[in-house]
Amino acid sequence: MDEEEIDKAVMAYLRKKGFKEAERVLQEEQNRVSSVGSRSDPEIAKQILTFAESGDGPLRYHEGYSKLRTWSYSSLDLYKDELLRVLYPVFIHCFMDLVAKGYVQEARRFFNCFRDDHEMMHKRDLQKFEGILTPSHLEEMEFACALRQSKVNIKLCQYSYELLLQYLQKTQSLTMLGIINEHINFKVSPGHPSSISDDADAVSLIGSSQDIAKQVNQKEVHWGLLEDSIEERFEKHGGLLSDSEKVDGENKEADGEDKKRPVEGNKQGASAKKMKKDKVVGAVGKNVRSETTTVSVAPRVKPELKLPVMPPDEEQSILEDLRNRVQISSLALPSVSFYTFINTHNGLNCSAVSHDGALVAGGFSDSSLKVWDMSKIGQQAGSINTQGENEPSLNGHVLGSDERKQPYTLFQGHAGPVYAASFSPRGDYILSSSSDATIRLWSNKLNANLVCYKGHNYPVWDVQFSPVGHYFASSSHDRTARIWSMDRIQPLRIMAGHLSDVDCVQWHPNCNYIATGSSDKTVRLWDVHSGECVRIFIGHRSMVLSLAMSPDGRYMASGDEDGSIMMWDLSTGRCITPLVGHTSCVWSLAFSCEGTLLASGSADCTVKLWDVTASTKISKTEESRSGSGSRLRSLKTLPTKSTPVYNLRFSRRNLLFATGALSKGV
Amino acid sequence: MSIVPKESIEVIAQSIGINNLSSDAALALAPDVEYRVREIMQEAIKCMRHSKRTTLTTDDVDSALSLRNVEPIYGFASGDPLRFKRAVGRKDLFYIDDKEVDLKDVIEAPLPKAPLDTAVVVHWLAIEGVQPAIPENVAMEAIVAPADNKRLEHRKEDALPVDIKLPVKHVLSKELQLYFDKITELTTNRSDSVLFKEALSSLATDSGLHPLVPYFSYFIAEEVTRNLSDLSLLVALMRVVQSLLRNPHIHIEPYLHQLMPSIITCLVAKRLGHRLADDHWELRDFSATLVASICRRFGHVYHNLQTRVTKTLLNAFLDPTKAMTQHYGAIQGLSALGANVVRLLILPNLEPYLKLLEPEMLLEKQKNEVKRNEAWRVYGALMCAAGNCVYERLKMLPGLLSRPNRQIWRANSGLDLTISNKRKPSNSDLLGHQPPLKKLATAAPAAVSIPTKKDISAAVQAGGAATISGQLPSRREWPTGGDGSRALTVAWKEEVDAGDLLCSLFELFGEGILSFIQPPELSLFL
Repeated sequence: MDEEEIDKAVMAYLRKKGFKEAERVLQEEQNRVSSVGSRSDPEIAKQILTFAESGDGPLRYHEGYSKLRTWSYSSLDLYKDELLRVLYPVFIHCFMDLVAKGYVQEARRFFNCFRDDHEMMHKRDLQKFEGILTPSHLEEMEFACALRQSKVNIKLCQYSYELLLQYLQKTQSLTMLGIINEHINFKVSPGHPSSISDDADAVSLIGSSQDIAKQVNQKEVHWGLLEDSIEERFEKHGGLLSDSEKVDGENKEADGEDKKRPVEGNKQGASAKKMKKDKVVGAVGKNVRSETTTVSVAPRVKPELKLPVMPPDEEQSILEDLRNRVQISSLALPSVSFYTFINTHNGLNCSAVSHDGALVAGGFSDSSLKVWDMSKIGQQAGSINTQGENEPSLNGHVLGSDERKQPYTLFQGHAGPVYAASFSPRGDYILSSSSDATIRLWSNKLNANLVCYKGHNYPVWDVQFSPVGHYFASSSHDRTARIWSMDRIQPLRIMAGHLSDVDCVQWHPNCNYIATGSSDKTVRLWDVHSGECVRIFIGHRSMVLSLAMSPDGRYMASGDEDGSIMMWDLSTGRCITPLVGHTSCVWSLAFSCEGTLLASGSADCTVKLWDVTASTKISKTEESRSGSGSRLRSLKTLPTKSTPVYNLRFSRRNLLFATGALSKGV
Repeated sequence: MSIVPKESIEVIAQSIGINNLSSDAALALAPDVEYRVREIMQEAIKCMRHSKRTTLTTDDVDSALSLRNVEPIYGFASGDPLRFKRAVGRKDLFYIDDKEVDLKDVIEAPLPKAPLDTAVVVHWLAIEGVQPAIPENVAMEAIVAPADNKRLEHRKEDALPVDIKLPVKHVLSKELQLYFDKITELTTNRSDSVLFKEALSSLATDSGLHPLVPYFSYFIAEEVTRNLSDLSLLVALMRVVQSLLRNPHIHIEPYLHQLMPSIITCLVAKRLGHRLADDHWELRDFSATLVASICRRFGHVYHNLQTRVTKTLLNAFLDPTKAMTQHYGAIQGLSALGANVVRLLILPNLEPYLKLLEPEMLLEKQKNEVKRNEAWRVYGALMCAAGNCVYERLKMLPGLLSRPNRQIWRANSGLDLTISNKRKPSNSDLLGHQPPLKKLATAAPAAVSIPTKKDISAAVQAGGAATISGQLPSRREWPTGGDGSRALTVAWKEEVDAGDLLCSLFELFGEGILSFIQPPELSLFL
């Protein structure tokens, strides 16, 4: 056979297969060979030719992959983890190649043959791919398209990489080589192989190119709190007091009989009672300060939105609450008041609690929104809310057993199941979002619908008031999140970028950013002012259901469908640590007011309390050293009686409100 | 290859009127159908998640269809999850159980109850991180107190429709624990000491012992069941019970259900103590008084207390297979409950019972000395009970003995006398031949001894004069057909005259019964 003929055949084959890299290499090689003048081995040439002639036999994928698989599984333990990581993308691309070439039956057989290997790590992806049966489906499915167009980054250590190359060359499995060449981008790092849990990229095969995420995450995020916030003012105030009065760490609950804390309370002759109170206040203030100092205080930022003016009485009540805040930490756990919805007949979709726990709203699948005023029913909420009592645990038993028929305010107007509800910070308005693609604003004072915001095209999954009120964010099945203000019926910003439904939305404490969680398993952070995506957080393995921002604005927690919770550092965009413990969907997350504790509510009928300070600090120091694992501490698990926990919220005094619907079947 | 087979597509096509679907078309459609179904399910799962549920419902599928602008499938909406039934003979084939409903039935059926309206209830899931032990929370800890009566808390509303056991953590002070240990030790080991007597008086008078009551009742119940052969311990335990009952500061009612079985055991157990010499009779008498006092005190609180006790005792009394000791206990227990109980329950059964008892008491029929002795005990107890009953009766109706009765009495007296004469020789005969028995009998405890002693002494006195044992068989022909027996069988009736009663009793017991009658009345009779 003529040498040139072989070369041509090889080139044609490579071009047909789309092996551009290989083609280029071969051409270079050819040039070199021709310059050297040595002859290539006819044997090999013949082999290549047979490959070219045999075409894209579907069997070759199967064989090639199974060989690669056996080889990786039998490789050295040290490098096995890394090599196994290569298998999944190869598997997926083999499958897609087979489908694309029309070997649907073979593709199915191939898929079923090897799917068990990846079942644990990539269950949800596999479920999606399972349904692909024709080439047209491939084109229709965005996830598949994205995968085919982009390359996957895989980190390998030097030696594993060499092992892999050796294997591919030795066995001459061109099919595999082709796929690896085409779809995998190896990032070879010198040194020891890394363990799988360290590499978030290995876990998820994300359609969007990771480079984009990387690029996006370069942007700067000003996560500092707003300047001149009420807390800051309070803090200074408290600090002033504690300077003159010696604070001896011991903080007891502030006693609540007389609320008028004398400004001149730090006089030497002040009564013991006053001293005690001042100490508490001082301790609170001090703690807040120490908190912020340890977390390398971020510069205060200016609000980018025009913020509404806070009325003085509101400010007064917030100051009141701050003064009476119970200090909670890993040693002093919070009290949890649980609102159980009964007789919901499986119809409760969402719930919300106002900041003081006085109002509880439930959104139902029969399109209604019901609001209970707990303060009007007996003393229950009264003891929690009245200014005179700040330690509500005193008569908790009485509250729970008090069972009378409770009248509620019924809000009707939606034309589909209500999926989310949110109280305004002052509790005078409620927003509800529904599957009828609208958001409605209700007034608690007038008991009437004020505005209907139309803009989304599909069901609105979530709506959240901003921490200052007036503005709110919504997220929808139409893959966008939108920012609105109460006085306009058109959205102010539309955040587009998610590849699937935007399932949840959360405001950053400084109101300059919102975070969104999506069914595409990512969390994104958006700049409210510009509407740009400033962070992409990749790491969840299933749909993100809940988000929470730490009060200092530095961290974010996100919970997913599988029950795992991830803590993210907003500035670096990296996952600090996964919190593992829940066995089912995490419906809700909430940070305590000082940011020391994270509470999570789940469909597995538990409220879990996590020590956030420990998890963040340890991880920072040890991240470089050892593999992760569950570093963070689950402080306490509070089981309910077959009541999935729908919503959690810390009051300004650090009382945790939880809601859920009693479900007998669970 | 796909989950949806070609045949399904063909069937569906036919069902919507396409008869000539080519098999190629079906083959091409099948995978697409599967893909679309998966797509719909994916959307449905999203809807489910946003409804905060973990089970997929038909509503979710409907809303998923509407997301895709497809008309929902009608007829499947239902509040309940669908019930799938497995097809007979096929492992993997399921269908929805869809019964045909007659429209008439639907129309005529009464309106169902309106579902309860949604409400919100509040409780403390945790107070400063600790879950309070309230019904709304999951019971976390096991119960510490061993003998706490666990009452179920029934919530009237169906809010939290589970019956909840309250986990009560019982904290005992160190002093109380010491006290308890000391008392139990005294009871088990040194029940004859002076100290024990003081302990008993302390138990009977001290206030502040209430937290220990569950522990004591548990202790007593345990010890009684374990140490039935240790008579002295049983006596000590019963005395502890007595003291506890006496203590005015103790609220013992909730623990009665635990104490009663132990006391009744001490009353009617087949064997108490392991030696012959053990005087279990006394223990039985003592327990009988305890039972009676409990019934008197708490009878009005627990209406079925006395009925349950009497039922138990009566069963023991009437069961011929039970041992004599048990019969004795039952009789003592019943008689301690008062004359009325005796009149209602014992007297009607007296005659048949005595028929059974008689052979046991006779030397010829019952060779076993011990058993004979026991039978005599029972006889004595019976007579005592009956006598007391009559005595009460007579006291209640002084001078009501009517003339006709006395006539009857007189008419019968001759016969009676002969009977008593007949009995006397039998007794004397017994005594004559069995001196040890006599000794035993005379040494009997005070409660029983009075009638028996009299009986025996009378027998001794009359001993010589009477004819000898040859006549004994005739005792079986006691005047059963006369007025006396009739009076007995209807003894439970209120109006039965005391005189009649006495007559018949006299017929059964002979002169012995007369010792229960006060001289004035006695003189009336005689």
